[in-house]
Amino acid sequence: MTTPPARLQNSRRARERRDLWVAIGFLLPNLLGFLLFTSGPVLFSLVVSFSNWNLQQTVPFRWVGVENYVQMLHNSEFWLYTINTFYFLLGMPIAVFGSLFLAVMLSQKLRGIVIFRTLFYLPSFTSGVALMILWKSLYNPDFGLINAAIRHVSDLLHLGITPPEWLLSTKNVLGLDVERVAVNRAQWGMGARDAIIIMGIWMGIGGNNMLLYLAALTNVPQELTEAGELDGASSWQVFRHIVWPQLAPTTFFILVMSFIGGLQGGFEQARVMTNGGPAGTTTTLSYHIYTKAFEEFQIGYASAVSWALFALIFVLTLVNWRFGNKEVSY
Amino acid sequence: MSAKLRNTLLYLLLTLFALTALIPFLWMALTSFKPLEEVEKLNPVPTVWHPENYRKVFEQISFARYYFNSLFIAAWVTFLTCLTSSMAAFAFARLQWRQRDNVFRLYLATLMIPGVVTMIPNYTLMVKLHLLDSYTGLIVPSAFSAFGTFLLRQFLLTIPAALDEAAEIDGANKWQLFWDVILPLARPGLITLALFTFMGNYGSFFWPLVMIKSEHLRTLPTGMLFFDSTYGRQTNLLMAASLMNIVPLIVLFIVSQKFLVRGIQMGAVKG
Amino acid sequence: MRLFFSITLLFLLLLSVVAWRIQPKMEQGGKIPLVWVSDDNPARRDQVALFNTMYPQNHLRLDPGNGAMEKVIVQSLGGVGPDLFDCYDGFQLSAYVRSGVAWDVTEELKRLNMDIGAVWEPLQKYVAYDKRVYGFGTNIASDALWFNKDIFDAEGVPYPKGPWKWDDLVKLAQRMTKRDSSGRVERFGFMCEWWNWLHFVYQRGGQVYTSDGTRCIVDSPETIAAVQFLHDLIYKYQVVPSPIEEAAMATQGGWGSGVITRFGAGKAAMALGGRWWLCTLRDYKKLRLGVAESPYSLKRVFRAYGKATLINRHSPRREEALRFLTYQSTKEYNDLINSQADGMGPVVGYTYTDTFLHNAHFPEEDQNAVWRETALHSQADQISPFVNGQVASRLITKQLDLVKSNQKSAAEAMHTAAQQINEEIAKMLEQDPSLRQRHAALVAQHSGGGKL
Repeated sequence: MTTPPARLQNSRRARERRDLWVAIGFLLPNLLGFLLFTSGPVLFSLVVSFSNWNLQQTVPFRWVGVENYVQMLHNSEFWLYTINTFYFLLGMPIAVFGSLFLAVMLSQKLRGIVIFRTLFYLPSFTSGVALMILWKSLYNPDFGLINAAIRHVSDLLHLGITPPEWLLSTKNVLGLDVERVAVNRAQWGMGARDAIIIMGIWMGIGGNNMLLYLAALTNVPQELTEAGELDGASSWQVFRHIVWPQLAPTTFFILVMSFIGGLQGGFEQARVMTNGGPAGTTTTLSYHIYTKAFEEFQIGYASAVSWALFALIFVLTLVNWRFGNKEVSY
Repeated sequence: MSAKLRNTLLYLLLTLFALTALIPFLWMALTSFKPLEEVEKLNPVPTVWHPENYRKVFEQISFARYYFNSLFIAAWVTFLTCLTSSMAAFAFARLQWRQRDNVFRLYLATLMIPGVVTMIPNYTLMVKLHLLDSYTGLIVPSAFSAFGTFLLRQFLLTIPAALDEAAEIDGANKWQLFWDVILPLARPGLITLALFTFMGNYGSFFWPLVMIKSEHLRTLPTGMLFFDSTYGRQTNLLMAASLMNIVPLIVLFIVSQKFLVRGIQMGAVKG
Repeated sequence: MRLFFSITLLFLLLLSVVAWRIQPKMEQGGKIPLVWVSDDNPARRDQVALFNTMYPQNHLRLDPGNGAMEKVIVQSLGGVGPDLFDCYDGFQLSAYVRSGVAWDVTEELKRLNMDIGAVWEPLQKYVAYDKRVYGFGTNIASDALWFNKDIFDAEGVPYPKGPWKWDDLVKLAQRMTKRDSSGRVERFGFMCEWWNWLHFVYQRGGQVYTSDGTRCIVDSPETIAAVQFLHDLIYKYQVVPSPIEEAAMATQGGWGSGVITRFGAGKAAMALGGRWWLCTLRDYKKLRLGVAESPYSLKRVFRAYGKATLINRHSPRREEALRFLTYQSTKEYNDLINSQADGMGPVVGYTYTDTFLHNAHFPEEDQNAVWRETALHSQADQISPFVNGQVASRLITKQLDLVKSNQKSAAEAMHTAAQQINEEIAKMLEQDPSLRQRHAALVAQHSGGGKL
């Protein structure tokens, strides 16, 4: 690295100094709000997590050190809800690859493709609450549309399937136990958590991720794919070896954002569809924080849990970054 | 495989997916015309059509009021977000100052903070400022978005630097540069951001749920829950309300469809 | 661009003016407004209307959307609370008092000549805390056994009559359960709500806490037996629908959905429920209803529930709000509640009238003496000052869910619940030294006396 001539450096410094004030002017509106509503609260909640503060003022305020964190780690509920939170990530790969698949189809030059795009996008811009209530009735074990369809198919093909009890059941495809961090064969099946995952895939698959992929696909230089086809590669080979690497930055971005979003999620579903049940199986960390803070008033403890959630997201994003960037670089 | 066969297959597949996306909505629409007794029956089409369900929605809750509130709040938040984010993005993308990229990284890091972390202190802040149960309390905390700053910065970076220099030679100051040169070029990005912000706030559930007490300040998602309360579930009316709730978004989406894909194409992905 | 932003801003400002202008006015024709947070039972409308006629200087408005305790507390502390709000049990009262939201009206009630002793005894626990009084009763409820006369007549079975025991109920319910040829239940013999599980616990002689509240004892043999009984009604005797069977039954919707509407639709021969069910069941014109005292196991007691109304200490109109408490002690209010069948009015005396026993508008309702008798033998929930009631109820609900869906035995579930709640108590004590002292003193006192 060579040092630039002193004169140039000086003028750059002067320019930086001059621009700094202008920059502050431009930043100010956003920065003020940012300090007041984001960084301030973040620090505040960190501080509060070391106290027994409760909004309702029923217990005298006291600093309790790391007690909230110790309690949290010793609390089996915390671990169960952490597992629930991760469980809901199971749908993510399906949703991401589904979005890619749809985007590939939509990037074909066909008539009326805009109509399909709008239809696919429909679920993701409908108010979540409305959709969740809709799905709640679709999932009704007896007169819901889904089980009616399953029973119909089962009768037709003489399969003798008993349809799942969906939102009423604690079963899950991994066979996780309800009260212990363990696997229990009796819990193996489909239940509330899976129902919420399936709904999530339906809601997300045609959404912003699909649009992102669509945008990235149109950005792939045509010469590259054409060159591949001239070399006699099949369309799958062209996709695998030419298009897919070009999509890597998009995939990376989508994965990072889905991880962040997924780990924070589950609140609305729990609130609108299940109340976190049955037996707490659909309670995620964010819903847990809500109940602790706004229903049980233990703001100190709730803040500690939300910091744990933040730490979890932070670490996972770093890990993502490590592995993801490698992929991006080729 | 001939092109014709391939296209037919594609259409088939696309239609299949489109149906999967559509059937629940269809069910929603059909349910909204059913009488209450038929809601939990399996006949998909109502035996007698009840279009008056839509009128009942307006009679039983102040639906028009909720509509206005949702649109009003989302519009304000969108406006403020676009304004503050574009200004901040300008500072991050077009101005040279020390520590610029470090400050930006700090902004980015906050995207990882779960909403619930800031929710509790923000709520207490609103209590202290006596902004509970007010429009201001719903609008202001949502109007400063790190995401928006991020999205627009990526956009502004793609605009050639030569433009700034040319403007400076013409004697324009930074303020003029921002309004007259940069912003018009960032239009696709602004529209994308506006759309995301509008949709996000129009459907937002959590913040209004904890913030709002008065009936006349409720927004659509929280207001609609009236039809799903334990004291009287009226799924048919709920579905009617939900359908009406979607309409502005569909309009908005179709109008901005062209910009949206282009906007995302230019921004977001380039790190 | 500048123009575009300016126009948008102008437009938004215009909208804001509109929003401001269509804000509803609080003042209604010079009357002082009062806001009451309660549930949206249709019976409330007449209760509000009667108040507004009796006290023309005020305008009372119902706010059904903010009933949750946490909302009332936080909103009151934030300066946007209601003037009046309902309190559903002793735990809520203690939370309202300790957070400084409930107004101590002991002196005011004395001045107004209102005697809290006239109210049903269980309700007194909803308003009295540390010998101070914070409100007045709203209504009282306790459960008895509803039965569908038509179904009994069709089966040729005589109507049930109390006092009777759980075993009698099981036999009768089995007799009244009707299955189709495939064994699928067409009509259940009995239905009950699991949220009222304490009704059964009390009847079996169980309790949630020790009498001093220092320890949770839901793992006692009595409590386990009661929960086991609830479980057996579903899975052993098969006279009560399981959660799956419940979900499969279409309901009519309307106020008080769930067991009430299912019973109303003839899906069960008998059901355990309160007098307030009439608010919904009176609309089922063809239904011929009978009431018998609830069967019991060891003790002839019934769980009392209901509510009281408290005043927000931070309300600028709290003196005006006192009028509502006065209203609740009047004959007019009590007669209205009793005639609406929104439970029973708070004042005991007004149920000892002929109009209560024989309502001219509903001559077929001849069982009002049963409701009065049930309320007299009812007992309020006990609370522990050493645990957050909200947490305890969440922990218990989770375990009951598991029992109800047949995933866990009653004994296991109640052991877990007791253990978890006692851990919560330990946590509370760790965090609050003054509470710890109180707890230690109580424990010492009782172990010294040799009984718990």
